[in-house]
Amino acid sequence: MPEKKTSSDKGSFCATVRANRQIGQPAPAFSDASRGGGRFYRLNLEFTGDGAKAFAKFQPGQFAEFDLSGTALPTTEKVPEDLVDVCQRNILLRRPFSFADVNAKKDKILAEVLYCVVGPASLRMTTLASGDSVSVIGPLGNGFRVPEGKKSALLIAGGMGAPPLLHLAKVLTADYSDIEAIAFAGTKTAKDLPFEKRLDEISQQLGFSLPEFAKYGVKSQVATEDGSAGFEGMVTDCFKRWLDKSNPAREQSIIYACGPEQMLARIAEIAKEKQIDCQISMERRMACGFGICQSCAVPCRVNGTNETVYKLCCEDGPVFDSKEVVFSL
Amino acid sequence: MDNTVDISVDFAGLKLANPVFTASGTCGYADELSDFMDINQLGGFITKSITVKPRKGNPTPRIVETDSGMLNAIGWANVGLDKFIEEKLPVIEKLTIPVFVNIAGETIREYVAVVERLATERTIAGFELNISCPNVEKGGISFGTDPELVKEVTSAVKKAAGEKILIVKLAPAVTDISAIARAAVEAGADALSLINTFTAMVIDIETRRPVLANKTGGLSGPAIKPIAVYLVNKIYNEVAKERGIPILGIGGIRNASDAIEFIIAGALAVAVGTANFIEPGCAVKIIEGIKKYCISHNIINIKDLVGSLGTN
Repeated sequence: MPEKKTSSDKGSFCATVRANRQIGQPAPAFSDASRGGGRFYRLNLEFTGDGAKAFAKFQPGQFAEFDLSGTALPTTEKVPEDLVDVCQRNILLRRPFSFADVNAKKDKILAEVLYCVVGPASLRMTTLASGDSVSVIGPLGNGFRVPEGKKSALLIAGGMGAPPLLHLAKVLTADYSDIEAIAFAGTKTAKDLPFEKRLDEISQQLGFSLPEFAKYGVKSQVATEDGSAGFEGMVTDCFKRWLDKSNPAREQSIIYACGPEQMLARIAEIAKEKQIDCQISMERRMACGFGICQSCAVPCRVNGTNETVYKLCCEDGPVFDSKEVVFSL
Repeated sequence: MDNTVDISVDFAGLKLANPVFTASGTCGYADELSDFMDINQLGGFITKSITVKPRKGNPTPRIVETDSGMLNAIGWANVGLDKFIEEKLPVIEKLTIPVFVNIAGETIREYVAVVERLATERTIAGFELNISCPNVEKGGISFGTDPELVKEVTSAVKKAAGEKILIVKLAPAVTDISAIARAAVEAGADALSLINTFTAMVIDIETRRPVLANKTGGLSGPAIKPIAVYLVNKIYNEVAKERGIPILGIGGIRNASDAIEFIIAGALAVAVGTANFIEPGCAVKIIEGIKKYCISHNIINIKDLVGSLGTN
C-alpha cells in the first residue's frame, strides 16, 4: 500500500449492481429486525472501463460516495417501523461507504459493500437489483498504511466498522506474507454483528469462528456487551485482555481499528499505554467526500503539541494515526 | 451547431463565455473540482469565503441533510488572506476564466483589509461581498439585514476594490430585500448575487438538541429554489433592470432547466452551489443544456431569454 495516493485517481463513475441480498439472520435466533440488528445487506458491484481503472487502485480504508437519491424506497410493508417517519423525506446528498472486498476480474473490478439499514438512504439501497446502475464517486480518502517491519496486525472492529477491516485482512494475507493478522469484532448484542454465522454458538476464544475472516486465514474473536455471543463485555476490554496475556513485540505490531468514536478513543489509549502503532478509521457527516464542503472536520494535535487544527475526515483521513486525533466524547 | 447560438454574456463589463458560475463555498479555492470537470469551461468561478485571519471553523456536526436540502455551519473555515495569496493565487493564476474572491468579515475593517490586499492582483476579476456575516461591532446582527449597514460596508469595499468588479451577495431573510439591493447598488455594487442561504435549524428529537454544533445553519439546495427564483424576479423588476445591474442567480440549481428558470426570472448568470457536492461535474453539463434549450427554442442570443418572464 503506497504511503499517499495521487489526487487524480478519483472520479465519478457508473457501477452495475450484480447482487444485493440480506445477510446474517439465521432464524429464529435473530428474527427481531425492528431495531438495528438483523438489517445487514451485501451489495456486489461491477466497475468497467475508466471506473475499473480507478477502482483497481482502491485501498482498504478508502471509501466511495454513492448517489441513492434516485433509488426507490421499498414498498410500505417492508419499511421498518422506526424508519417510517424519516423515509418520508427526499434525500439529496451522497452517502459514504467503505468496501469489504475488491477483486479484479479480467478488465472489470468487482467491489463488495456490507451495509446496515439505518436511515432513508441505506433503506433505498436495499431495492437496488441486479442489472441496476448506481453513480459512485471514488476512490476517496487515504486508506490503512503498512509501515516497514511489522509482523503482527491487530484488527479491531466495532459494529459496522468491520467492512474495511475485512478488506484489510484480505490484502494483508495476500500481499504481506510476513504479517500475521488477527481480528476482534464487537457490538452490543449478537444480532448487531454484520456476519453470517450463527453467532450465539460462537467460541469464547480466538479462533476461526468468523468465516469472513477465516477465509483469509485470520483468527478472530467476538465480543458482545450483553454476552449473547463470544466474550461478554466491550471489544476493547476483550482486546486488552488478549494484549496483556499475549504481549506481542510492540515495535513489530500495529493496531488497525474502525468503529464508534468512543471505541476508537479507548483503543488509542491502549495503544499509547502499550506503545503500539495504531491507525484508526474515523467517521463524520460529510456533504461531498472530496474536500470541498469542509463539513467533516476532525480536531488533530500538531506534532505532539497542545495546539489543534481541524483536518478533514474525507481528504486527510478517514484513516488517522491514533496519536494525532483529539476525540470528542 | 454551437455557432448558431450565443450564450456569452456581458457581466458588469466583463465578457463571459457562458453564464454559469460555481458558487462560493462549494468549489474550493481554485482547482479542487478539476478531477470532475474542466474548470476553464465555466463562465466564472467564485472562491470560498476568505477572511483576514485563518479560521478553523466550527466544531462538528457542521452539516445536516434536510428534505431536498442541507444545512451548513462551516464557520468560514479558510486559510486566511496571507496563505490564500501565497498558496492559492498561483493556482488561480493558471485558470483562464474570471475568478471572483468571496470575502467575509466581522467588521468593515476586516472586509476592507482583504480587498485592499487583493485589489492589485491582476489575476482576480473582482469580489463577491458576503454580507450575511455577524457584525461584531453592532452586537452581532448581520450586515445584510440593515440597508444603512449594507451601504456602509459596500461603499467602503468598493473604494478599496478600485477597478475590480464588486458583486454583493444578498441574504434572503430580510424584511425588504429590494431596499437592501438598492442600498448596495447606490453604494457602488456592480452586480448582485442572490440568494445566500436561509438560517434554519434541525432538532434531534431523541436528545432534544439541535443537530448542528452551531445550533443553526444555512439552508441550501433544491428546497430553496422557488424562493430564490421569486426573489431574483423581484430584484430584477424592482431594482436591477432599470439600473442595468446584472444578477447572478443562486439557489438550488442542479440542472439546465433550473438555470434557465433563473435566467427567465431575470438573472444574467447563475451559480451552481450545493449540487457540486452531489454531481461535481454538473456545472459543465448545465452549460451544454442551456445551449440545447436555446437551440430548440430558437433563441439566437441568450440575452433575449434574460428577464423574459411573461404574464399569465
